[in-house]
This record gives sequence, C-alpha cells and structure tokens, in this order.
Amino acid sequence: MTNKTKAMIWAIVATVVFIVSGWLMLRGATSSVTFPLNTLSPHGVKADYIQTLTYWVFGIAAVVFLLVEVAIIWMVVRFRAEDSDEEGQNEPRQVHGITSLEIGWTIVPAVILAGLAVLNVNTILKMEDASADAIEVEVIGQQWWWEFRYDTNGDGEVDIITANQLVMPADHDVNLKIQSNDVIHSFWIPTLNGKKDAVPGRTHPLVLQSYEPGVFEGQCTEFCGLSHGVMRMQVKSLPEAEYEDWLDIMTTNPDDPSDADQIAGQELFVQQCTGCHQINGISPGDEDPAYTPIPDPDYGATVGSALSAQNAPNLTHLMMRDTFAGSLLALYDEPASPEVMNPGIPNTNNLKRWLRNPEEVKPMDPENGQGMPNMGLSEEQIDQLVAYLITLK
Amino acid sequence: MTVVSERTPLALPGGEPSAQNHLGVFTRPTATQGWKSWFTTVDHKKIGIMYGAAALFFFLVGGLEALLIRTQLAIPGSDLLSAELYNQIFTMHAVTMVFLVVMPLAAAFANYLLPLQIGARDVAFPRMNALSLWIWLLGAIFFNSSWLLGGGADGGWFAYAPNSGVAFSPSHGMDFYAVGLLIMGIASTVSAVNLTVTVLNLRTPGMTLMRMPVFTWMTFIVQVLLVFALPVITVALFLLMFDRLFGATFFDASKGGDPFLWEHLFWIFGHPEVYIMILPAFGVVSEVIPVFSRKPIFGYPFMVGSGIAIGFMGWGVWAHHMFASGMGEISVLAFSLATMFIAVPTGVKILNWCATMYGGRLRFTTAMLFSVGLVAMFTIGGLSGVSHAVAPADTQQTDTYYIVAHFHYVLFGGAVLGLFSGIYFWYPKMFGMFLGETLGKWHFWLMMIGFNLTFGPMHMLGLQGMMRRTWTYSDGYGFNTWNLVATIGAFTLAVSVTIFLVNIWASYRAHKRNPVNPGPDPWDARSLEWMIPSPTPEYNFDETVVVEEFDEFWHRKYGHDEDGRLVRIAPTEEVAQHGGATGIHLPSPSYWPLVMAVGFPLVGYGLIFNLWWALPGALLMLVAIYGWVMEPPDAPSDHHDDLEGPDPVDSTGEPAELTSGEAQASAESDDAEEADSSEFTTEEAPVG
Repeated sequence: MTNKTKAMIWAIVATVVFIVSGWLMLRGATSSVTFPLNTLSPHGVKADYIQTLTYWVFGIAAVVFLLVEVAIIWMVVRFRAEDSDEEGQNEPRQVHGITSLEIGWTIVPAVILAGLAVLNVNTILKMEDASADAIEVEVIGQQWWWEFRYDTNGDGEVDIITANQLVMPADHDVNLKIQSNDVIHSFWIPTLNGKKDAVPGRTHPLVLQSYEPGVFEGQCTEFCGLSHGVMRMQVKSLPEAEYEDWLDIMTTNPDDPSDADQIAGQELFVQQCTGCHQINGISPGDEDPAYTPIPDPDYGATVGSALSAQNAPNLTHLMMRDTFAGSLLALYDEPASPEVMNPGIPNTNNLKRWLRNPEEVKPMDPENGQGMPNMGLSEEQIDQLVAYLITLK
Repeated sequence: MTVVSERTPLALPGGEPSAQNHLGVFTRPTATQGWKSWFTTVDHKKIGIMYGAAALFFFLVGGLEALLIRTQLAIPGSDLLSAELYNQIFTMHAVTMVFLVVMPLAAAFANYLLPLQIGARDVAFPRMNALSLWIWLLGAIFFNSSWLLGGGADGGWFAYAPNSGVAFSPSHGMDFYAVGLLIMGIASTVSAVNLTVTVLNLRTPGMTLMRMPVFTWMTFIVQVLLVFALPVITVALFLLMFDRLFGATFFDASKGGDPFLWEHLFWIFGHPEVYIMILPAFGVVSEVIPVFSRKPIFGYPFMVGSGIAIGFMGWGVWAHHMFASGMGEISVLAFSLATMFIAVPTGVKILNWCATMYGGRLRFTTAMLFSVGLVAMFTIGGLSGVSHAVAPADTQQTDTYYIVAHFHYVLFGGAVLGLFSGIYFWYPKMFGMFLGETLGKWHFWLMMIGFNLTFGPMHMLGLQGMMRRTWTYSDGYGFNTWNLVATIGAFTLAVSVTIFLVNIWASYRAHKRNPVNPGPDPWDARSLEWMIPSPTPEYNFDETVVVEEFDEFWHRKYGHDEDGRLVRIAPTEEVAQHGGATGIHLPSPSYWPLVMAVGFPLVGYGLIFNLWWALPGALLMLVAIYGWVMEPPDAPSDHHDDLEGPDPVDSTGEPAELTSGEAQASAESDDAEEADSSEFTTEEAPVG
C-alpha cells in the first residue's frame, strides 16, 4: 500500500470515528436522562437562547475540528518519511509560504467569526429583557446558602424572607437582584439561565423564567470557601394560582406551638437560635414569643457589609421548603415537586443530624463566624427543637 | 580572520583597564567547573538548565497535587481529603503549575536558547540573569514552605477578594501567595528586561529582527508581555498584601473598597499570562516541525505577525474571565467580540504548522510527535475557547469543568506538550547525549492517552453542570462515570511522566557506558545553535556568525534546484563550528546574585510573621547591592590573552570603529561592563 492510500484510509476512518463519537457525546449530554444541572436541557426561554447560540458554536467548531484533525492525521500518514529514504531522494519542495493562501485563512475564519458575532450580540442584548409585569426578588448569597426576599405588594418593604428555595410562578419573568453578604458567590440555575455573580457592594440583575412548573436545581459556581461545593439552591416554579397560595401562606403567621415538646422547643429556639436565626416576630430573650407576618429585614448582619458572616436563614416558614442546610439536606421524605407544600412526612432524621453537629454534615468554620456552630444540645433538646421546627409552616 | 574588519564593531573595551583599578575587596569567584560553580555561575546555559531542573521538580510536586485531587474526585462523596485541605491543594496545584512549572520551563528554554539563536555569547546582563534565577527559585521554595507553616494558600490561584481576605482565609496561606508571587514577579521582571535587551541589542551581525528564529520571536514577545503584565499583578498583590497584613480595605465593599478592583487587576495580568505561557511552546513547535519536515516554516512573516497580534490583542480580552461577574451588558459585548477575534491569529498559526508539514518528509522523532501532538490538542483547546468567547454560552460554562477541560487542553495540550517537545529536541544540545527514542515514544503515547482520558471527559462533566473547585460531588448528577475515567487518565499521565524520568536516567546510563556525541547537528536542523558542538561550549560560538538570511545554518548546508527541491551544497562538518576556541573572554561568575536573592524570602517571612525579622533580609540585600557594585568586572586571573594587542580604544572609552548599524549599540546599564566584556570581544579563535 502506498502512503497515499494509507492516508486516505486513515482519514476516512478518523472522520467516521470523530463523527460517531461526537454524536454519541452530544446525545449523551442531551439525552432524556436529564441530570439536574445539565446545561443542555433548557426549561426556560433564557436558557433556550443560550442553547441555540451554543449549538451554532458547537456546530462550527465541530466542522473546524474535523477539518484540522483529519488533515493532521492524513498528513502524518501521507508524508511520513520512508525508512528507505535517503538524503537527496524525495526531498520536499521548499515552500516558504503562499501569501494569498495565508491571507485567505486569515480572512475566512474572521468572516465566520463575524457571522457568529452577530448571533452573539443578538443574544447578549436579549438576555436581560424582562416583561413589564416581572416579579422582583432579591437574592443574597452568603456562606453557604442563599436568601430570597420578596416585596409582594410593592410598598418597598420586604414581606417574605426565605432561604435556599426560590419560589416563582411558571411562565412569568422574574427579575433577580443578586447581592452578597460576604464573599463572591454565583447564582446558577443551568436549566433556566446562565450564572451571575453575587458581589459584595453590588446588585446584579438576572432574569429567570420557566416554561412549565417544576423544580430546578442550582449550584453556587464562584469559589466561596469551605462548603462551596455543596452550596446548592432550588427554584420551585408553581402554576400561577398556586404561587398566589404560596404567597398567602408565607405572609401569614405559622400556627402557635401546641403540645409540651413544641413549646419547650420554642423556648429553646428563643434561647439558643435567635442570635442568628429569625422567626418573624420572635426576638432573643422573648418571654412570651408572638409571631408577626412581616420579617425584620435588618435581622442579623446587614447586606453589603463584607467580612462578617453572622446571618442565618429565616425559619418562619421552614417547612414550606423542601430542603435545608444550603439545600444539601431534604426536609421531607418525598423529593421536591411543583406543589405549594411538600406532601411527604418531615424528615426528622436529617434535622436531628444537623442539630447534633452541623460541622459533620458540611465543612464550616463557626469559630471564624462561618457557618453554624455545634450548639451542644442534648438528645432531648434536639427532639424538642425538631418538634417545634416542623410546626413552622 | 578575513572578515575581521566587519567584526571590529564588536570590539568594545574589555575588562582590562578596570580590572587593574578595582577596589580589591571583593574578588570574583573563578570556578566554572564542579558543583560549586553552579551557585556563582552567570552563564546563561547553566542558568537555563537550573531553571529547567527546578521546574521539572515542581512539575512533580504539582503533579502529585493533581493526583490527590483526582483521587479525591474518583468517586462521589469521598472523604480522603477534607474540604479545607482540598482547597489548599487545588490552589497550590494551579499556582505551582503556572508560576513554578510552565513559566520557568519556558524561561529555561529562553535562557539557554535565546543567546544561541541570535548568535550571542550570553545575555545582556549576566549577573542579573543569575539574580532572576535565584530570586525565582527562593521565591518558589518560600511559597511552598507554607505547607509547613500553617497550610498552603486556599483562595484559588485567582484569589478573588474578599474570599482571599484575612476574614475568610485566616491562615497564612494567602499571605504566602501574595508575598511569594511578589517575589517571583520580581524575578520574572528582571529576567524579562534582561532578555528584551538581549534580543534588541545582542543579535549577531546580519541577524535582523525578521531573520530571527520563530522561537526567539515568540520568546521576545513573551518578555515584552511580561514587562507590561507583571506591574499589574504586582499592584494587585501589594493591595492584597496590605489588606491582609496591614488592615487596608482596598477590596472591602463595606468600607468603600471594591472586590471588582481585584478581579480586573488580576485578569489584566491573568490573560496576557495565558499567552506568556503558551507562546514559548508555539515557538518550540515552530522550530521542531520545520526541522522534521525538511521544509522551512510556512509563512514566516505570518507566524511572527500572528504572534505579535496575539500579544497585542491579549491585552484587550481580560474581562472574558468575568462574563458572569455582572460587569454589565456593554462590557460583556465588547470583550466577547474582542475574544472571538483573537481566535484568528491563533488559527493562522495552526494552519501554518499544518502547511509546513504538507508535502514535507516527516520524521517522527519523539520531539516531532510532541509538536504534532500540540497542534492537534491545542486545536481542541482553541475551539472550546471560542465556545466561551461567546458570552451567553460562557455563562453556562464558566466555573464548570468545561473550563477546566478547556484550559488544560491549552496549557497541557499546548504548553506542556510543546515544552516536552523542546526537551527532546534540545536535550542533545544541552547535555551532549540523546534522550532515548523508544522510551520517549512510550512517554508520548501514554501522555496523549492519559491526557485525553483526564481532560476529555471534563468537557462532558462541565456540560452536565459539574462546578469547579468542589472537593466532592453527590450521586445523581451524572458525574460519577466521567470522574472515574478522568482519575484513571490522571494516573496514566503519572505513568508517562515516570517513564520520562526513567528515560533521563536510562539515557544517562547508556551514555556513560557508551558515550556517543550527537555532534553539533543531530537533527539536521536550521538555526544557529546547531552550528556549534554539543554540549554547547561555555563560550557558545568559536567565531561570530554573520547572518545573511533566515535559517542561516540550513542555507549554508542546503540549496534547492530549479524545481524548488532540496539540494545539499555543503556537508554539515564543513559548516559547523568545531569548538576548542581559546582566550574568549566571558563574564566572570559572581556571588552576589545568590546573596541578594536570599534576602527576599527573609523579608517575606518578616512581613508575614514579624516585621523585625525582615531586617536581616533587608540588610543582606543592601550588602549584596554594595557587593554587586563594588565587585571587579573580572576575576584577577582572567586576562585577555589578546593576540592583537590592546583594543583600539579612543579617549571616550568608545571603540574606534563603532559604526556598523547591524551590530547593536552596547547595552547601557550597571551591568554594561559585563555585557561588553562578554559580548564584544575581538578574539576570534582560528577554526579548523
């Protein structure tokens, strides 16, 4: 076989292998087995814009990849020196360059990129568009959980403060105002939109929208210290009517604790937890705790003051969420679903595990003010606290 | 000596007059052989070799860190490493690979080859060259000593504020990061200035800029980038150091500072840094591929021009690291467009290498394999780069494993493969022996397999949403399989690196048993360094080479027929120099670079632990500066044994015939004495 034939065979085989494996990979990445953070399975309009653009880029890149790599393989076989070659035989022609060719392959990629640039600019300019009736939610990143603040009636006062799970109506634009309370974090729900950093002292916009109701996973993607890898969040997108129900529940008081364990738990909460955690209306040292519908937005550290991390999630409607501890642990035995409240049974084991020693569940440094300390609670106290906490809905 | 009149421009005053008038307190060391000579050497070749050896050592350190990372991530929920330790390890891995491996390995080649490729005797400022080596090496050791003093840096190599601040990273790790990088930055700045001056002023007659080898060109561009990029990171590191050590608030938003300041400063340095790391490897490939294709580099002006274009455009794209940072639509637009178009000059390079191979007679030595490997792998890194030049796509990809895949295809598939190619290619020139080809090919193929197994799957992981810098991951995200594959790949890489080390050892043993000198030109190569014996004589060239065209050495060996095909016109032995020149005046060794360098880590420890401790370091530096200045220009015994009598010197100390435009003016600096004596000598040892 001559080098020429061999080179053709190699080139054809390589082309087939590249195309098949590329197709398999893309299929793998987008197949129906959708993993929660998959960047190639959009469920919202912004993620769709990105996906369209990404496929254009991938398509062009695939063609270039194929051309260059196959050319290299072809040349490597075609122009390999024969062992029998001696100096003076088969010496290559000394080509120093072909200017027209080089100008050509400077201009052609530039033109292709210019085409791509048009798509790119178009998409960039669409990313921050939101409808006039968009809901506004403040998003505050902190080590290592997310807080969400809603002003439901537009009076400029915060009406709802919750954590880790952002609830929004389906098929409705939501304007996020992303901020940080300590270090830089990044808010990312890959199925709905790209990511946006939460930077101390700044407020960054991001628009979310989901076509259908659903629960969409997210992950902090700017390195933010010890528990960065498990700083998760969820977006729960509800049908419009159920979203209204959710708002109603979140702006009313939870039921007062009734049995002895629950009341003891509430007392414990007032003594041990109110230094950092807020339940609307309850203050440290309360003799006779009474809920209020409106949270105190200044509770804990104030937003924007970097280098202090003493703020902890508002727990007023804890059980309206599906997860806790930076969305690491499940609150119910049922997975999150697009319903106002999880229909499952509270996962008291997870709550107890967390209260026993939070540092065992996820890496934190409470001595340095980062994360929840071990409160040194007895098993009885833990039971009482959990009994109280699961009344918070 | 027929062309001596052309060379008299090189005849600047030697060390003779001042050697008689020196202050006499500090005599210079004289040894040029033996282990002690390595500590006082100012020889660019020895310095280059030390850069290379130290960089390879740190390559093993960084590689070990990488293996720990991959072992931890092999399975979900692994608790081999704590999050705290993992954060230190990935930070140290990155800083080590960037500042302690790729940059110094490139510096090794730059130091060793640059003077040879432009036909010079040494760099412009030989003592400064030694200084930059020692400062860098001691800075690197200082930086790694943090492992023993409370833990490594844990804020990521990008060290975003305020997470890198003392409130969130209370250990001393980030102090070592700030001060260590400052120290190494001084080394790089000194070296960059030195090499820039060398290229501009010490080219041999006839070596115009557009006749310089592409490696020299790329290295030159890198030095210019360094000269401008390092001040930016220096400022950033100073601010960080003041924030951490002295309670400043440059990055504290609650006190009017701004974390964005750090991000911008870091990436204004950080992006040119990418090109600082990759362009030397591009240079290596541009030397290797023509040699083993038996063809000139295709489109030399385009190769040089695209390098320069990358150098310029590299300054206008830094904020593409910040597309998700929230810097605003217009900034995103501008930087996204700029970044897309930097793909053009890079693409030109890839296509020109391909065109160089086209129609050639390709010999697949290990060096060539690594170079072709770079072209194939860098293409992948370049293409994934375009996919996040497009800003909206980047907001999905950034800070995921997709980015990790991308920059490893660029830095490992680019820089590291290129530098390995260079090691195999220039090893005979540096050490007078070959690296084994059989083991070399095992090294190459295992490295290619291991590399693609490690970093290929990371594209998939990133697209499936796996975030970077996480010490663990959970079941159910689809991360398990590809992570395991990547870990297997990492250990394959470790095997290939082991084979490389074995190859060094085995080649040395084989050479001991049966010494075969590779001769001046083992690869039938093209540039000036192949004109002189291997290993390179201490004085480099027997006589100054007068260059008439690009690829001068090649064209002395080969012409071409009317068909453009290669025709031998002279045997290599006739064209090459034979060594054995005597009486060539070289810069004398010196103690002071090392003494001065020792002061830097001492001051560093002082800054971190107790300011008083900085005093001895500062004093040492002061003493070294005095020693440096007072030191006589020559060792007492090292006189010119000038056959033609004293140099023609006029009353101003200028040589009588400093006229030719080709010979560049003498370097003016405190080191000019050395530069003069090293570079412009009248002695021409008779050849043959």
